Amino acid sequence: MDLWSYLEYAAWGLSALFGLHILVDWLRTDSTYSEDVLTSSREGELEAMAEEHKVH
Amino acid sequence: MTDIDITSQTMDGMGPHGTKVGLLRVLGPAHVWALGVGIVLVGEYMGWNFSVGKGGAFAALIACWFAGILYSCVAMIDSEVTSTVASAGGQYTQAKHIIGPLMAFNVGLYLVFAYTMLEAANAITAGYLFSVVASMTGHEAELDQRPFIILVITFLAWLNYRGVLATLTFNLVITAIAFIAIITLFLSTSGVLGGGIMEHAALFEGHELPYGWIGVLAAMHFGLWYYLGIEGTTQAAEEVRSPARSLPFGTLAGIMTLLIAATLTWFMCSGVLPWEYLGDGVSGSVAPLFDTARLSGSTALVWLLGFGTLFATLASANGCINDASRAWFAMGRDKYLPGWFGAVHPKYRTPYRSIVFLVPIALIFALGAPLDQVITFSILSGLLGYTFMPLNIILFRRKWPLDTIKRGYEHPFHPIPAFTLLGICGVTFFAVFLGYGTQLVAMIGFYIIVSLWFHFWRYRFVNRGAQFTMPWPKPKGY
Amino acid sequence: MAHYIPPKQGKASQLFDVVVLVVLTVGSLFVPLWLNLAGAAKTVASPVENPTWEALGQNAAQAAKYEALGFTPETAHDLILARFDYSFSVGALLVMILVIVLYYFLILRFSESEYREVISEKFGK
Repeated sequence: MDLWSYLEYAAWGLSALFGLHILVDWLRTDSTYSEDVLTSSREGELEAMAEEHKVH
Repeated sequence: MTDIDITSQTMDGMGPHGTKVGLLRVLGPAHVWALGVGIVLVGEYMGWNFSVGKGGAFAALIACWFAGILYSCVAMIDSEVTSTVASAGGQYTQAKHIIGPLMAFNVGLYLVFAYTMLEAANAITAGYLFSVVASMTGHEAELDQRPFIILVITFLAWLNYRGVLATLTFNLVITAIAFIAIITLFLSTSGVLGGGIMEHAALFEGHELPYGWIGVLAAMHFGLWYYLGIEGTTQAAEEVRSPARSLPFGTLAGIMTLLIAATLTWFMCSGVLPWEYLGDGVSGSVAPLFDTARLSGSTALVWLLGFGTLFATLASANGCINDASRAWFAMGRDKYLPGWFGAVHPKYRTPYRSIVFLVPIALIFALGAPLDQVITFSILSGLLGYTFMPLNIILFRRKWPLDTIKRGYEHPFHPIPAFTLLGICGVTFFAVFLGYGTQLVAMIGFYIIVSLWFHFWRYRFVNRGAQFTMPWPKPKGY
Repeated sequence: MAHYIPPKQGKASQLFDVVVLVVLTVGSLFVPLWLNLAGAAKTVASPVENPTWEALGQNAAQAAKYEALGFTPETAHDLILARFDYSFSVGALLVMILVIVLYYFLILRFSESEYREVISEKFGK
């Protein structure tokens, strides 16, 4: 066992950690908020708020 | 309406179309530059040198400049359209408003594939780098690259999941370091500072154009790799503070950076490495800038370019996750894909489900396919996208002439860039045909099948009029 | 014109659509690989016995670089002499052009009919 063998295990471990963190947060978010809120984003928000397409 | 709380910043129900949770507008022009250049700069560190193998060093330079023209046209056309259609999804949303839903669906898939495959290629390269460093530092056994490949993808997905500002600020830092590494290598090996080690004349002798002129055509295939992905800047449109200004600025600054970096890279590597070695990215030079540094005899340069290579692959994979998930998200939001993907994380304000979904897809390609195949699929999807752009701008100018809607940027000499772009795309299709004709046909067969699937099945779930969201007048001729 | 009201898609149906897309995607990458049709391999047309740098067509400067990279004429033999084969049949080229043109024709055609529907619903006749 040298340094790189430990690093291999560390990489497996960190991968699992990051993956698990995403997974837990994802499931928690999905069960906390209603689907209506989560998928309420609509395209073209900026245009409707800030821009008027008129030629000067 | 229990989901609305008017005292909340995020759920006050004031969004013009009922948006309660949307993407966060936090980015500036520097982030746009970092997203565009960050994705592409890895192409200078690896991959472009396959074009040397296809036709020799001179052919690679010609391909570099012709691909530079192609991408300058792409950047100009893209800047004009996107300064008007500023929305996540980029070219997908452009196609939806200008050409039509089926084209938009195809463009969306081009984007997701080009970026996901590129992400996989980056992870493969990063894994390879770790194994090289391991053997350089005295590791005896063969390093298992898989945990490092998986770590790169999951770490960057995690970063993307947690918020766009941190993600692209990280990209800005590592992209800048990788770019500075290229400049430093150039200054110290070309003879600008101290003694140069360039031997172009001696190395080219007898090998000027080893395949003749058809090699120059063939080199165009991998010539795209110098710049592939710069068009991804448009994906940030919904998260940039002032898209009409920042997007053209960041994109055009990006293409200029890349033209400089690509030419310098060719100059350094071809002046130090013999073309047969340089051009073989599998058993020869996998990371040509790194190999150039090794031959310079300076340990400091070896370390600098080693980190430059690693940072470039990370920046690229990072930007790819960002772009692919935005395109996937935008299609989900319009029900082009299951609406479930159109969700935004209420706290981090990222398209989190799209980010998560694309992780296993990227892993399948990174762990299961050889590098040049993955690169070729990425290039092919990109190429189909570039062929769409001239059609897009011609129809855009025809349906909405310059005096009908305001544009943040108007590109000059229309329609010359459009036709130039179309011509160079044709040449590149021929180049791909020379080496990878089967993949080309398989890829297009795939797009034909999914197009039929979309037209006859999937499109029934899409709102017709509501998907046209730009406050534009009615197009001419309808 | 009457507004088109899309049906609501259930969870199972959404999942099924995703599976279809993933299968098609992975298929298009791996089918050419499985059929061994993928890629352009380089081959050595005329090998050199007992190679020297001169016999491999390398001048002094080029040979020096190879030695600095850790090669000998024997180990560099395949790397230096392997070449791509760019010969192709006109028939195959025509098939490719046809496939590409057909593809763009198909999507532009369908897109146009879908687009007219969008515009007439959005702006009225």
